[in-house]
Amino acid sequence: MPPSIHPVDLVTALRHKHLTPAIVFLTSRRACDEAMETFDHADLVLPPARQEAIAVALERITVQHPSIAEHPLIPIVKRIGVAAHHAGHLPSWKIAIEELMRQGHLDAVFATTTLAAGVDFPARTVVITQSSIRKSRDFTDLTIGEIQQIAGRAGRRGKDHVGFAIVTPSPYIDLTVLTKGLTGQPEGIDSQFTISYPMVLNLLKAHPHEQIQGILAKSFAQFQLNQRAELLEQKLDALHVQMEPFGPRVCTDWITQWHTFDHARRHRHTRHHTHRSESPEIVARLPFLTPGRVVGLSRGHGIVLRQYRSKGQKNSMLTVLRPDNAVTECPVTSVKEVYDRTYDCAETSTYPWCSTEAFDRLSHQLEDLPPRLPVLPILVSPGTESLPDAIVQSLGDFPCPTCPSRPACQKDFITASRLRQEQQRHTKSIQALRTSLWHRFQERVDVLQKFGYLTTATQLTADGEWARLIRIDHSLLITELIRAEAFAGADPSLLAGILASLAHDDDRPGAFPRISPGLSSLLGQVRKLAESLSPYEDPPLLRADVAALVERWIADPSLTWIGLCRLTTMAEGDIYRLLARTLEFLSQVQALKSTHPGLAESASQAITLIRRGVLEELP
Amino acid sequence: MNTDELEQLLAQQPVALLHRLARGRVHRHFRAGKRRLIELLLQHSIHNRAGLESDLQTLIGERHSRSEAGSSPVHRSPTIAHKKASPRGADPDSTETAVSLSAWLEGLGVPSPQPFVPDPWQSEALSALNETDVVISVPTGSGKTYVAVEAAHRAMEDNRSVIYTSPLKALSNTKYTEFCRIFGPEKVGILTGDRQENGQAPLLIMTTEILRNLLYDAASGEIDIRLDTLGLVILDESQYLADPERGVVWEETIIFCPSQARLLLLSASIGNPQDIADWLTSIRSTACRLVRHSKRTVPLRAGYLHPNGKLTPLFRTLGIPYGHPNQLHPEAKRLFLEYEEETLPAGRPRR
Repeated sequence: MPPSIHPVDLVTALRHKHLTPAIVFLTSRRACDEAMETFDHADLVLPPARQEAIAVALERITVQHPSIAEHPLIPIVKRIGVAAHHAGHLPSWKIAIEELMRQGHLDAVFATTTLAAGVDFPARTVVITQSSIRKSRDFTDLTIGEIQQIAGRAGRRGKDHVGFAIVTPSPYIDLTVLTKGLTGQPEGIDSQFTISYPMVLNLLKAHPHEQIQGILAKSFAQFQLNQRAELLEQKLDALHVQMEPFGPRVCTDWITQWHTFDHARRHRHTRHHTHRSESPEIVARLPFLTPGRVVGLSRGHGIVLRQYRSKGQKNSMLTVLRPDNAVTECPVTSVKEVYDRTYDCAETSTYPWCSTEAFDRLSHQLEDLPPRLPVLPILVSPGTESLPDAIVQSLGDFPCPTCPSRPACQKDFITASRLRQEQQRHTKSIQALRTSLWHRFQERVDVLQKFGYLTTATQLTADGEWARLIRIDHSLLITELIRAEAFAGADPSLLAGILASLAHDDDRPGAFPRISPGLSSLLGQVRKLAESLSPYEDPPLLRADVAALVERWIADPSLTWIGLCRLTTMAEGDIYRLLARTLEFLSQVQALKSTHPGLAESASQAITLIRRGVLEELP
Repeated sequence: MNTDELEQLLAQQPVALLHRLARGRVHRHFRAGKRRLIELLLQHSIHNRAGLESDLQTLIGERHSRSEAGSSPVHRSPTIAHKKASPRGADPDSTETAVSLSAWLEGLGVPSPQPFVPDPWQSEALSALNETDVVISVPTGSGKTYVAVEAAHRAMEDNRSVIYTSPLKALSNTKYTEFCRIFGPEKVGILTGDRQENGQAPLLIMTTEILRNLLYDAASGEIDIRLDTLGLVILDESQYLADPERGVVWEETIIFCPSQARLLLLSASIGNPQDIADWLTSIRSTACRLVRHSKRTVPLRAGYLHPNGKLTPLFRTLGIPYGHPNQLHPEAKRLFLEYEEETLPAGRPRR
């Protein structure tokens, strides 16, 4: 059995059951294009009358959008009445397909799921072949909302009694995702409120700083945060009720009291065991008794291999290498002298505590030692009598040992302290929920002050006044570039190239034209600046290849659209979107007419140059 | 075909055919002898008689065509005379539990043109809009545009201006064409990132970003659009509020929307429209009204198309069994299991 139904069979089956027109949702643009290829030699041609109707309709659309006239899919559309529709196509092609579909000329359209959220584009039937879509490199399951958006395209009001959503399997489809999606309630939506630099500037331009918190409180984000805070408050109330039996006892704050008492009790207990009495002379020596140190013992010399503490011993212990390769353990007190000589000793964690080579070397060195060695002078600090721990001392001050409620405290402490910790945690998170937006705003304000867009009194500076007009992604980078005069004297093609590399956020690889040296060096500057700004703003991808493409389009006015497409493997629709987004960025720069006339002029030139060919034809 | 006839027919078939028929229907069918196999198949037919019968016919047809091609017709007399009635006594009524394909496909066709009568929810939304802001959350294709057009019409009759926003430039252009046809081109203008036409018209179409920018400019005193006469702001596709990159623009627009203008939020079905309405109530001067329903204007049916071209309903019921995702049609279930068995590499469980 084939892993999924053949597109020709699919269309045949749909026609046979009178389920056309249909939209077939496929996983990728490639799948759509491949599906179209399978119709190259298919013999399910339309009756001549319908072919004629499609040709006439296409003709009419071509008058308005000449760019579709040469489209390679037209023969199949005309002959069989199927088409592909995805983001890789030019908008004019998509408009044409939508129009044909609306007029009922087509039997099937192969589309990606982006169509589901796009234009008004209904059919009698939708065919679903997948349960997941690619979202930034990963495949994620379709949400219920998305599945219902897709299924929602089925059934045209006034043209159909019923709509059909047909599932046909392809490898790795998960049917349960689809059945849940078809029968379920769509998910709730969550606020995606973010505070951007231009938002801060625009808010502060129109409103005094003290009013801003009130404005932020009106956002849906805060509304949802408040909902969560209210949930926590309910939990807090419940905790309050649970805490009631653990109210004030003999002391008001008995939980803390008991906690301190218990801690002190345990503390004293453990100290008792670990208490060591070492004379100040010995203590002063300890830091010098490191592996490789030569020491004098009661008889002969030795080399320290390790220092350790042992539970059964009052003093710190040493492992010492003695003459004749003897390894002995002895307390530090048995060391008579510490000599001013050390040898390299590669330590290991197991016996004999150093590597075998080191061990051999050390034993040789030990034998070669002269009988007299310089003694290491060790300064002994005057014996500071270690004071008995203050808490241990004051244990007698605790009322607890004789308190009448001691058994109750002991019994309830674990529950009560857990409840109180939870209470404190909830209180903190409620506070965080209520103030987080404001804190985020303040963070942005601090950055803007640091860069000099805002005065310390949160007034807009001269730079802030124009910077607030740049209301696009990477606004901080763009305004900083303008302030650094990176675009001074740059011709329109360079400016547009840089803005294109900022505007483009897709990481689809491909082949692109060569980049000019001017643009390349400018892009290097931009990259450096973007990196230095990265603590305050996510750096853009800054793709040089994409920038080069836009540069070429502007620098060479004789370049045709077809010629541009030949320069790269990028899909037509993607090039179009890239240029359209660059236009948007340019028009924001163009708005800086009053403060940066040269730059604005350059931007408006770039805009005129971009708008030709296909870009002029579309509204 | 009643149960007895089916039993007879099954008994006449070679056991190999029965095994093929039982694949995916009967657990461990290869263990059963012919008599037991027939019993099990009959038991199964309680759930999905139609599927079993059609598959049986196909298999018989296949066998005949093969034996004819081999030009050695083999006639096999029924090996077992099956006298015992099947133990469960398959009740003919139980085949009705799952909808049949023919019933599922019924009602296809084009409805006769009917005079347009607004749905109750549409009238409800329009009358509510006289007093307050309105949030509409209805399935795709229910006729939200009608409400938008009618509301715009009423506002313009009152000499108040209307702004209509959509998330996509393409949608804005489509709406511009549509509204020009309805209201006349002199009354409609469009403002997008790179297109500005008839900017002083009473009905302006724009992308939401443009409106947000206008509102910011108005707030800082650089007014270039008559916001004081603004009577209605229509935000289409409001579910974009949850868009990771652009959602914030919808929030800003709603927060800064002038208080004298009514807000009309049009959205596809979402899970928490009440939250949106509550939010609007909390920040706007009047209590917001929520209009929602989940019933589609054109009813939807779900089907399953097997790669071999076989079509069955996806669910037991004719329509979509909302809230019951497990009510799969037994035939669709069987075909899908078969599909999974054949396509998944052996020994690798589904994620």
